[in-house]
Amino acid sequence: MIKIVGITFQGVLRDKVFHGILLVAGLFLFIPSASAFSMRQVPQLAITLSLSLTSFLLLLLAVFLGGTSLWKDVERRYTHSVLGGTPISRASYVLGKYSGVSLFVMATAFLLGVLSLAAIWFAAMAYPPDRPLLWLNILIAVFFDALKYVLLVAVAFLLSTVSTSFFLPIFGTIATFLAGSATQNVYDYLQTPQGEQLSAGVKAAALFFYYMLPNFSAFDLKANAIYSLPLDPGGLLLTFAYAAVYIAILLSSASLLFTRRELQ
Amino acid sequence: MKSVALLAALVVVYAALLLPFTRHLRQRPFLEKVGYLPQPFILQTLAADQRYAMAAGLIFNVLAYYGTLVEKNLFGADIPPDHSTMQTTLITASRLDPYNMDIYYFAQSMAWNSNKIREITELLEYGMRYRDWDFYLPFFAGFNSAYFLKDYAAAAPHFATAARLSGSDLFTRLASRYMYEAGQTGLAIDYLTAMIQSSKNEAIKKTFQTRYAALLEVRRIEQARDVFRQKTGRLPKSIVELQDAGVLAPPPGDPYGGEFYLEPDGTVRTTSKFANPSQDNQ
Amino acid sequence: MDAIELVDLTKIFPGKKGARVKALDHLDLRVPQGEVFGFLGPNGAGKSTTIKILMGLIRPTQGQARLLGTPATLPQARLTTGYLPENPAFYDYLNASEYLTFIGQSFKLDTTTIAARSETILHRLSLWEARKRPIRSYSKGMVQRLGIAQVLVHQPEIYILDEPMSGLDPIGRALVKEIILELKAAGKCVFFSTHITSDVEAVCDRVGVILKGKLQTVQEVGTLMEKGITGYHIRHRMPGQEIFKESTIRPEELQVFMTNIFQSGEEVILLEPLRKNLEAFFLSIVSQGSSNDQ
Repeated sequence: MIKIVGITFQGVLRDKVFHGILLVAGLFLFIPSASAFSMRQVPQLAITLSLSLTSFLLLLLAVFLGGTSLWKDVERRYTHSVLGGTPISRASYVLGKYSGVSLFVMATAFLLGVLSLAAIWFAAMAYPPDRPLLWLNILIAVFFDALKYVLLVAVAFLLSTVSTSFFLPIFGTIATFLAGSATQNVYDYLQTPQGEQLSAGVKAAALFFYYMLPNFSAFDLKANAIYSLPLDPGGLLLTFAYAAVYIAILLSSASLLFTRRELQ
Repeated sequence: MKSVALLAALVVVYAALLLPFTRHLRQRPFLEKVGYLPQPFILQTLAADQRYAMAAGLIFNVLAYYGTLVEKNLFGADIPPDHSTMQTTLITASRLDPYNMDIYYFAQSMAWNSNKIREITELLEYGMRYRDWDFYLPFFAGFNSAYFLKDYAAAAPHFATAARLSGSDLFTRLASRYMYEAGQTGLAIDYLTAMIQSSKNEAIKKTFQTRYAALLEVRRIEQARDVFRQKTGRLPKSIVELQDAGVLAPPPGDPYGGEFYLEPDGTVRTTSKFANPSQDNQ
Repeated sequence: MDAIELVDLTKIFPGKKGARVKALDHLDLRVPQGEVFGFLGPNGAGKSTTIKILMGLIRPTQGQARLLGTPATLPQARLTTGYLPENPAFYDYLNASEYLTFIGQSFKLDTTTIAARSETILHRLSLWEARKRPIRSYSKGMVQRLGIAQVLVHQPEIYILDEPMSGLDPIGRALVKEIILELKAAGKCVFFSTHITSDVEAVCDRVGVILKGKLQTVQEVGTLMEKGITGYHIRHRMPGQEIFKESTIRPEELQVFMTNIFQSGEEVILLEPLRKNLEAFFLSIVSQGSSNDQ
């Protein structure tokens, strides 16, 4: 399985998608000057833009690598030579590929995190912030952002194991991301007076999706990073555990489905 | 060869289109440029984890629009800004990123030109729930209540909060001034001094400075009026009377291009209503 | 224990509109260690389906496949097997050298062994020069040769090759045949599918013919070659003469004819058996199979 992780990592590194994304990461250079547009909160705008760009790039990586990595191997029949020609089991193949992609997402997040810190530092040098920046908060926000995308990659893998076309893995993953980011908002809306007036069926459906879909809003610590708001360690721990269990469920299902899949 | 010629022709057509196309886009009214924003709830839901960037984008749109207008008006174009749409956009932005100071700052900077002081103050109060460390929001809210709404009871706790958060005596001074009508101009001048000092954005700074210059003139006239009353025991009827009495020199000039005049009760007004002439002043 | 064991193997694919396609129909076959087995059949006869079941890529609807006694559905069955898929594809961002290393490591070979074997194999398959180029840039023949290379690197007991000659030039074909004969000499089992009869003739001990998912017949290639003799062509002449005579005789006349020649003192310049070749045999089975069907 370690071999598959290595091969996957190498594959992503040589992938054109990744090179394109690296190119987009050049936008970090413009963040310090773009932040100067802010009237009252230049360093905060630099953090906002850095975290947003990081998040956007990681989303692209997660969707395209997660959605195509396993699917492409089956489609191009790399799996035939590897799964037919070596004693590597299907489950290790899925886990290995997933670990490779996830490791890559984490590594990219680290790299983008470093770029973010540099961009924010430059902005804060030129315009000292009113309140001290909490660098640790920024790093934790990037980490949880990456954790969110690692979870999304697991969703993409689950969809890849059942699909014979890339539509489901790619668009299914994007849809899951949007829905998973929105569920908390919808849930909160249900608690308001307007929300209470909704029909029982709509409320039940909303609750079903709320518990069923991954809740991505929990991983959004941008406000804490941007405005130096204190983080809740207990909440972070819970979110981490939530991600771990959710990923484990997704990967077990993916392995199970992939083991049963016929590789024509 | 044929296909190359076709491609070349298409590129020429594209280039020819580009000019009118961009001109069209440049001239679109602000509402069209910002677009009819959907309900904040919908935006929040669609923005996913980019809500903070989206808020920053909305603010940037408002700011860019306003900056262009200020620039144009400096050259005498006198296009009235669409305050209502700017304000709605800012309120929407605040629902995406309630912590963003630029929203409150910019909303407050429009206070003089807006007939929606209550909405601005509500927006500030919304922001105070999040930016609970920031003395600027209660400062703005207190100023709005005292200066525009003359609601001193509402202003007092805001100034108290601002004083507590900042540890500065400015707010205590403001609190003592707002109690009498004559202090109004002074209150505004103090407020504007603080705003101009902390202002970084050129367009907004320019707005403040113009207002500041006008208010200095108002204060000068008010002081002349008070001297006149002390001397003669009655209120002057006009600015000219003040000048003739030798208490007001040089003659006052309205940076907005209007003429100052006196109400029967002695209040100083100007024909420009502290706005650029074509502007629909509230 | 047989190297390959197929018992009552049946595979039904769901077709379009709920139709069911029977790709394999109760197939029984055993291939012992040390044998080279040719799996002959027209396109779509079920050769690849059989091989994919053997490699655990798809599951049989009914029956069992075993490699050295281990069910083919288990990953460990592939520990002793090398597999070349039909029109193989390998991670195209790796180069040949990296791919062989990857395969070697999957079989837990140590680095020095992998390096030594890779070098020999890459030289042998004329991939040495290209070993550092990404597979993406390879021609079809090169990919096919890499396919052969990755089967050899871990030196398995059983070699399952799906259309090993396809996409190869005559030199490549000759090389693959040579390699198969070497494996046979080393006592390994080689099972390969093809639709080209001459490949079978050259290297196989036995041949099985599959048609529409049914195994039609399994024959010793040697016996088949003997059975196929329809007569002899003999060129002979009197010693010292320029002109020679040519005779064509039936198989049962050979004994008498040769005795006569020797008695008359003539010399035999050429004796050529005339036979119905494997292709004719194959074609007759195919046509029989089709006519049975109607």
